[in-house]
Amino acid sequence: MLRWSHLGLSLGLAFLLTSCDDLFQYNPNEETLLDRDKDLTAKNIARISQLPVSDTTRFILMGDSQRWYDECEDFVRSANQQKNISFVLHAGDISDFGLTQEFKWVNEIMTRLKYPYVTVIGNHDIVANGSATYRKMFGPLNYSFGFGRDRFIFVNTNSREYAFDGSVPDVAWLKAQLADNPAHQNTIVVGHVPPFDADFDKNLEKPYTAALANDPTVKFTLYGHQHRFYEGQFYDDGVNYHLTTSMGARGYMVVSTWEGGYRVERVNF
Amino acid sequence: MKKYLLSLLLLLSIQGMAQEVGLRPRRAWYLPDHLKLQFAGNIGFLSGGPGYVSRNKTLETDLLFGFLPQKYGGDALVTTTLKTTYSPWRIGLRDSYYIRPFSIGAYLSYTFGPQFDTKWPSYYPAGYYWWATAIRPGAYIGGKAGRNVVLNNRRRSFELYYELGTYDLLVISYVQNKGFLKLHDIVSLSLGVKFGFD
Repeated sequence: MLRWSHLGLSLGLAFLLTSCDDLFQYNPNEETLLDRDKDLTAKNIARISQLPVSDTTRFILMGDSQRWYDECEDFVRSANQQKNISFVLHAGDISDFGLTQEFKWVNEIMTRLKYPYVTVIGNHDIVANGSATYRKMFGPLNYSFGFGRDRFIFVNTNSREYAFDGSVPDVAWLKAQLADNPAHQNTIVVGHVPPFDADFDKNLEKPYTAALANDPTVKFTLYGHQHRFYEGQFYDDGVNYHLTTSMGARGYMVVSTWEGGYRVERVNF
Repeated sequence: MKKYLLSLLLLLSIQGMAQEVGLRPRRAWYLPDHLKLQFAGNIGFLSGGPGYVSRNKTLETDLLFGFLPQKYGGDALVTTTLKTTYSPWRIGLRDSYYIRPFSIGAYLSYTFGPQFDTKWPSYYPAGYYWWATAIRPGAYIGGKAGRNVVLNNRRRSFELYYELGTYDLLVISYVQNKGFLKLHDIVSLSLGVKFGFD
């Protein structure tokens, strides 16, 4: 009896000492988050709003970190060596299987950036309990914020995950956001799936691209998903589409904006 | 947790009862050989259910029903699991205590919910996602310690076991990211008790 209780006691102590928050796991699809892992979008926008604004705003667009953690760590090392970066945009597919564990791993890597980062949801982030976890961990699937002369609108464009039911992307919401721009800031719309991709609702392609083209403050728009660098004025409407590649392909983009212009540089790491 | 562990230890320390054994006829073949209750292990916060054991007592197969309350999981999840454990060695100790120092096993779990699929809906091209979100195969190693007792003139056994396990999606993540991920990132602990009707 004495030995049993000793065993129990030392086992219990061992567990306490390990103090590892995921020593016990209850389900692959559980959504257990520490407070520090919640509402990251709001927290990071608050950090961004404290940053000084200069004549040129420089930020990084990267994406598709799904199951490429080693490469994502190398990305962080490379990004931290860039000069005058204000923040990083993650173009979606943070996770591969939509598991909370994956979101936590990527966040652990991304918090080693010297800069705050914000995200747009990707199709893989919606799988299983993914979108519920995304809401808790990051925040709303559609949102916007302003910084300096620029205004960023993040929109869920992963139509296939909603069976192309016409609800995604939410074009009415996007139009309302575009219209709500009293200071005439440059508008930069960021999504995961670009409108010319097969995973984007064909019935919404025209309304979506027209909404961007009809707004004179929209000069360019940013995406991920295709795991390749790709750019062009695909709809001959004055709006430039830029896609960043995946972490697996070891590349990202540095975007600079200034009064009346912008530049996109590709970086391989 | 401590409270439960304490009462379990108490239960294990129950001495003797009657020492004459096995006067009852052998139980019907279809009745389970044991019941298990497990904490954690990616098949529920708590899971429990009946199981069968091979004649030489090394191979156990269990059907466990698991539940994860929203309070502990962020989402309430119900899971059924079929698991098989092989524990080849038995070391007898004093006072009918024994340990089975090594176990190895595998499971297949099914989690219920409209957000989980076994077969992806037709609006996805074939092979768009290659894994099923409702079904998870996993594997584990572990060990157990137990005691044979006689309760109400019947042979019974109590066992405590632990398992260190992982599942397919974590293994793939680990294999491709050995720089960032360490083995302890993909392995988690589960603890359980078994009540055997020998």
